[in-house]
Amino acid sequence: MAAASASSAAASAPDFPDIAVVATAQTPAHARYDGPEVHLIMDCVDQLLASTGLSRDGIDFTIAGSCDYLSGMPFAFVTNVDGMGAWPPVYESHVEMDGAWALFEAWLRLQVGDVDTAMVVGSGRSSPCNAREVFHLQADPYAVAPLGLDPDALAGIQARSLIDAGLASESDFAAVVARSRAAAAANPMAQVQASGAVAVADLLAEPYDMAPLRAHDVAPPADGAAAVIIATAERARELTDRPVWIRGIDHRIESHHPGLRDLTDSASVRTAAATLGIGPAAGGGGGGEGADPDGGGTAGLDVAELHVTHAHEEIILRSALGLDDSVEVNPSGGPLGGNPVMATGLIRVIEAADRIASGRARRAVAHASSGPALQQNLLCLLEGDG
Amino acid sequence: MTAVHDVDFTLEYPYTRSTGPIVGPWLTGLRDGRILGLRVGGRVVCPPVEYDPDTGVSTSPDDLTEVGPAGTVTAWTWVCAPTSKHPFAQPFAFAQIRLDGADTAMLHAVDAGDMAAMSTGMRVVARFRPERRGAVTDVYFVPGDEPPPPVEADPDAGSVETTEHLIGVRIREPLFPFRARFARGLLEGRILGQRSPADGKVHVPSRGYDALNRVAMGPEHDVEVADVGTVTSFTEIAPIQYHGQTETEPWIRCSVLLDSADTTVGGIDVRHIGVEEFRVGMRLRMVWKPEGERDVSAIENRWGGITGGVYERWEPTGEPDVDPELLKDHPF
Repeated sequence: MAAASASSAAASAPDFPDIAVVATAQTPAHARYDGPEVHLIMDCVDQLLASTGLSRDGIDFTIAGSCDYLSGMPFAFVTNVDGMGAWPPVYESHVEMDGAWALFEAWLRLQVGDVDTAMVVGSGRSSPCNAREVFHLQADPYAVAPLGLDPDALAGIQARSLIDAGLASESDFAAVVARSRAAAAANPMAQVQASGAVAVADLLAEPYDMAPLRAHDVAPPADGAAAVIIATAERARELTDRPVWIRGIDHRIESHHPGLRDLTDSASVRTAAATLGIGPAAGGGGGGEGADPDGGGTAGLDVAELHVTHAHEEIILRSALGLDDSVEVNPSGGPLGGNPVMATGLIRVIEAADRIASGRARRAVAHASSGPALQQNLLCLLEGDG
Repeated sequence: MTAVHDVDFTLEYPYTRSTGPIVGPWLTGLRDGRILGLRVGGRVVCPPVEYDPDTGVSTSPDDLTEVGPAGTVTAWTWVCAPTSKHPFAQPFAFAQIRLDGADTAMLHAVDAGDMAAMSTGMRVVARFRPERRGAVTDVYFVPGDEPPPPVEADPDAGSVETTEHLIGVRIREPLFPFRARFARGLLEGRILGQRSPADGKVHVPSRGYDALNRVAMGPEHDVEVADVGTVTSFTEIAPIQYHGQTETEPWIRCSVLLDSADTTVGGIDVRHIGVEEFRVGMRLRMVWKPEGERDVSAIENRWGGITGGVYERWEPTGEPDVDPELLKDHPF
């Protein structure tokens, strides 16, 4: 790491080896997929191998993110390896987290320098159970989990905190949903594809679920998978004409006691953004005042793909990232358009990378979240060649 | 077409956790009708924590201090449709509650009857449940300031050293199409496998894909296999009388390579052949239960092969044994 970046982390991104996303794949976000999770993974892996021309044994390191509780089977993650290919034996790892964290481990792994390619998978089937009855187990096991206080419930409390602080209104939540659904309509992978525009007034006429949130404020859990191949610089150039460079990944965690947090802000996102040289401390996340138009380690973001599973979270994240209107937020429709749990965060990286690879954006930040009320946040800064 | 069941099971684990020097007294307090906070870093936090949230330095039980029982709601949500894990079946509020004497808010449930009764800044007060077991669910909150009736603590109960939490998830889904065809086949007296389009090997029961070649398989790959095969491995199980055990006598559990199949079927139970004469390479035939008496309810998407619900027994065919050397690719 360069000494200059260590001394002023807020001003420029740390100097990491060049590692790029070279191929991406995702399944549609199925409301219900009546087949093994392995099929979903296999579909993604087939896409990756086809687009890179790699054979399965041409990939050095394999890692997946999934949740055995959600699958309803101990060691389900081992079965999932069948979808990636367990023969000949593979060098494999797993995180019991969203695939975005598997990407983090793969990115770190490639920095060791002895392997050049990694395949990263995120997958889950939420439809067989009520995911809320699983994910309350992420909370403190003594003080919170036995209450069944699930992420949707804590999201309701967080949304209320925003309203009470004068930072947002229920109309603002509805506006996030309306915009997300409009964008999702153009995304063939989305689960929620509105036939037409959804009016804020109509959304506000719907009944409450976790008041002040309504059912449509909550991303609908889906079944699906997503996967990427990343590679070191030289290998990336061989595998694609349009590498998308990972300029940095940062993961920060806040207290698991929500009472010790300011739920109206995201301290962890602010810290991660500053570490990557983006966000308010770097003069804004977009092309606004203070932004460096050349994107030389500060801002100049074109796109932000945010892991918004509850509408109000977008408002908190925009503020913590310092995003102005010049930055396109969740052009894919975001998780509110489709939420294949355990793949949703990795899909943020994929959507951002795809936009860069196709020339629609040059610089983007992908955000993944884990735990209730944005407890854990991961930022991935992505750039094209120029 | 023969109807098959949907998957519907609950996977449960009883978790017993030790409580430690800070959480233990806190849960003991809840059981005995008191709520404790902890002095740390110039403030009182509730629930108490084992470390200073700012510095990570260990905290001391000497700094526990009673808070509440009343407090102020700092944020809340109204739960219109409670889940099976929630503390109330009727709509209620989850709230951040800053108890009197505490500087931070504790998450808990408020039984307020109606959303209109809730507001930020309102006063709520603890109510202790008649049955308490040293868990956060021993208490809940109601609107108002009226102190809870005194709780009669059992002086001999000791401190709460462990706390129990039964976790569980109910899984409901249709049998996957290839599992439904397999189960239906058994009901109709046929054992279905799938032939891999990659190498022609027959998988039974199939997982819906060929794991070796990473290829999905569909209905066009279904093939019927024989109900006669060869023992590839076995063990004798002496039933330990754990809670829920229904077996009393030792029996054999074996794997069988069915004729025309390339994968073994595991979990076959044999009760009519003595272990002294049972051996790898032995030829066995499945004797089906009569049609109409077959039960495939043990077949799930995640487990269950040729279930004991479909056969009366497995019996020797009387054919010569297969040379075990020829079975060495089937250790299971």
